[in-house]
Amino acid sequence: MRFVRRYLVPRLIQYVLVICLGITVVFFIPRLMPTDPVERVISALEAQGGYLDPAALEETILTLRETYGLEEGLFKQYISFWGRLFTLDFGPSLFMFPVPVFDLIRTALPWTAGLLFVSLLLGWTIGNILGGLTGYFRQSRILKIFDGMVMLVRPIPYYIMALLLIIFFAYLLPIFPIGGGYTVGYKIAFTWRFVGSVLKHAFLPLLSLTLLNAAFRHQTMRLLVQTVRDEDFIHYAKIGNVKERTIFSRYVLRNAILPQITGLAMSLGMIFGGALITEIVFSYPGIGHLLYRAIVNGDFNLIMGITTISIVAIATGILVIDFLYPLFDPRIRLK
Amino acid sequence: MKRKILWMLLSFLLVASLVLASCAKEEVVVEEEEEEEEEEFAGFPRSETLYLAQLTGRVGTPDDFNDLVGWKWTDRGMQNIMNEIFWSIDTVGNRIINSLANGPPVYSADLTQMTVTLWEGVYWSDGVEFTADDVVFTVEMCKATPGMRYNIEFEVVERVYAADKYTVVFELTEPMSRFHLYFMDQWGGCCIMPKHVWEDVEDPLTFTYNPPLSLGPYVLHSYDPAGFWTAWERRDDWERTPVGMQYGEPGPKYVVYAAYVDDTAKVMGLALNEVDTGFLPLEAMKAALGASDYISTFRPDYPWMIGGLPWMGGVVFNTAIPPFDNKEVRWALVLATDIASFFATAYDGVAEMSPLPISNTKLYLENYHEPMLEWLNDFTLDIGNGETFKPFNSEAAYLLAEYAEARGYPVAEDPKEFYGIGWWKYAPDVAATLLEKNGFTQDADGEWLLPDGTPWVINLLCGVSTSAASTRNSFAAAYEWRKFGIDASVKMSEMAADLGDFGDFDVVGEWVSNEGLGGVVDLYINFFPWHSKFVKPVGERTFSRAGRWSDPRMDAVIDALAVTPFDDTERMVELGLEGLKIAVEEMPGMPTLGGPDFYVVNNYYWTGWPDVDNPYNNAHWWPTGFKYVLPFLEPTGR
Repeated sequence: MRFVRRYLVPRLIQYVLVICLGITVVFFIPRLMPTDPVERVISALEAQGGYLDPAALEETILTLRETYGLEEGLFKQYISFWGRLFTLDFGPSLFMFPVPVFDLIRTALPWTAGLLFVSLLLGWTIGNILGGLTGYFRQSRILKIFDGMVMLVRPIPYYIMALLLIIFFAYLLPIFPIGGGYTVGYKIAFTWRFVGSVLKHAFLPLLSLTLLNAAFRHQTMRLLVQTVRDEDFIHYAKIGNVKERTIFSRYVLRNAILPQITGLAMSLGMIFGGALITEIVFSYPGIGHLLYRAIVNGDFNLIMGITTISIVAIATGILVIDFLYPLFDPRIRLK
Repeated sequence: MKRKILWMLLSFLLVASLVLASCAKEEVVVEEEEEEEEEEFAGFPRSETLYLAQLTGRVGTPDDFNDLVGWKWTDRGMQNIMNEIFWSIDTVGNRIINSLANGPPVYSADLTQMTVTLWEGVYWSDGVEFTADDVVFTVEMCKATPGMRYNIEFEVVERVYAADKYTVVFELTEPMSRFHLYFMDQWGGCCIMPKHVWEDVEDPLTFTYNPPLSLGPYVLHSYDPAGFWTAWERRDDWERTPVGMQYGEPGPKYVVYAAYVDDTAKVMGLALNEVDTGFLPLEAMKAALGASDYISTFRPDYPWMIGGLPWMGGVVFNTAIPPFDNKEVRWALVLATDIASFFATAYDGVAEMSPLPISNTKLYLENYHEPMLEWLNDFTLDIGNGETFKPFNSEAAYLLAEYAEARGYPVAEDPKEFYGIGWWKYAPDVAATLLEKNGFTQDADGEWLLPDGTPWVINLLCGVSTSAASTRNSFAAAYEWRKFGIDASVKMSEMAADLGDFGDFDVVGEWVSNEGLGGVVDLYINFFPWHSKFVKPVGERTFSRAGRWSDPRMDAVIDALAVTPFDDTERMVELGLEGLKIAVEEMPGMPTLGGPDFYVVNNYYWTGWPDVDNPYNNAHWWPTGFKYVLPFLEPTGR
């Protein structure tokens, strides 16, 4: 009971407040942008040239503003938004009218979530293990060579890395597709053929994200392990004839991993913002490009939809970590 | 304690999984009720499929085919494969193709009535015959539905009715000689919708029209819910479409429009024969040509491009703000520009030039450029102190030819054949004289100062695409003017179009006049946004050109063109020439290069593309006329 009152409830209240505040900020900020979604639709029509009567365009703008509900007062729009939020109704996309925002997100999010979630976990796991080994077993030649390779890979800008992978494995050696989420013409269904196509198309984007993620985790973990291994309690363990493997896994790694777990939780939440460059380079369907287009076109509803989900995801990630931390670190466990 | 935490975590994960699982999207193939019994589609056979790189990129509304509301990425096959309008335009052959109409519009003498006769024997893809009733219904629906395209434009329609099964009569509330332009456009115009589908729709604004019916030779096969591709299948009854009736069976059985977000991916796709066309910047085009022997352009060698397309690039001055409200300042900037150097910077010399705010289409050259040559040669500027200057350089084509030869490119015997009739002289000393006449001075470093003594800073606005003509024009102009001693720089912005419309710029890279239709001599389309009634002050959105230029003389030309019958070519040309002379005198924008258009085609799977030796149509795969290219494409058998 004390745990619920003094730990759980305050955390939950904080969680709800963060989400409410974040969503409120997200509601107002896009409306402060100079971009108007109706103007963007008109610009898209105008950009194709041809015969568009200016007088008619002017009237069309007024009509569209009314259709999109932009003529209502800001406060009314805000209240209306909260009313619809609990049914996940973010309204229609303004630039891609009348497609519901939820439908757009629902289509794009699984691709982003799948790709980024897997790449994040893989990169985190591989990077931490290898970084930990490299940081602890400093005399190992193999690990030193590996560390050198990581130092070469790490500074490569992501765009260049992605292009290199495409050039090598999709163009020079055409093993994987140049881009896309699955083979053109296939039906989206849980069939072996479709799943196989998805995996094949996801491989290069996954590899590009995992490589750089793993390199980053490797370097940070190496530094953390190098710090921990010089602590007094480690020397004491060695003097006490504790096995090297036990010292590494249960003493060093377990202490060094704590900041990495926090980092993982934060990164998991940010999945919902997408990976714009990945989606552009690999023509991968995802939420990053959707968000980019929403911002460029002043699509308030779509911006709010995506960022709301992102806010909830990040806040939830932090909350989960708050609950999980006592499992990993007994020092902060409440009695 | 541990157990409590674990239970909470498991509960949370369970809820999260259920939420994510509900995100799974259903299959989107059109014939959903037959899915379970059909054999799984094995993909499109490459030898029967034409893959086209979609111009406008990833589709934001992939399951919405309602072309009459908002922007729906209509170049994914909607306007260019499926929908039909009355007339399509072939900008290469400079001709109008009868699509749903079997002849030109017929106006009454007072221009208040337009009659259109339709082809007989055209059928929708569901087997229902297309008739005048569909046209009447479409026009009335647009007119009655606020928010729909053409809702405002069709206010001028007092009455529309079917005189018989294949004849439509439009009665207008006022004389209009160009009402038919609403049904004749490269980017779709008013596409006719099937009455038997739409008449039962409750809300046309939110109706997705999926699956759509086709009047073109293809029907929708399937599409990617993420918007990366849209696939079309040839109709079995293709001969009951305007395309089939006039030109025969389209070659490809399937046509797929695919979005390539990156030019690099396009070039690789072309080289690997995964895609059959690509619209590329100059440098990427050269890379593609070098990557495969099967890739070709409209011309086999320099200058590669089609040429003669109806859009005219350059930079536009904001005539609403000083010093660009002074035409002598505008002329000074033109004379400070070395066109050969400009072309080298912008396009490595690969472009046509025009001294006029219209491009070098065949019809424009015959009817405007060449007849104006004498006037251009005599055109004189008053540069002050009793001096005059004739700025036209009829030999400018040779300057570009010289550059091209120095680059190792083959040049035509008569460079004017490609580059155009001439341009304005590079006369920085005369430019300086004009500026000094208007109170400008130079500091000790030769940098130009405004009449108030402050440094003259010019910000050129353009979009962010480095391949776009607007961007290249802006950078080239900034370079020329910096050489001249002006602090000119380029500001790239995603919002360039909006900033331009609101007048938040000094000079903007864009078309110097409205994009023409091509295929006609009429310049009304090019001129009409310049009418003073459309100009708005800086800070308010203008529906005129961004430069906000107008002139009472041009207003008179536009008003006269508006009531000139469409078939009175002589009068149209006369007015067009008058308008062009005004535009030259006033120079609201500096015309430089006509839309250089670099596209490539891949001949590995499909041949028969239009080219310089056989320019039977415009091979651009995004305008409405592209469906008329398809019957000419043949499989190679690979």
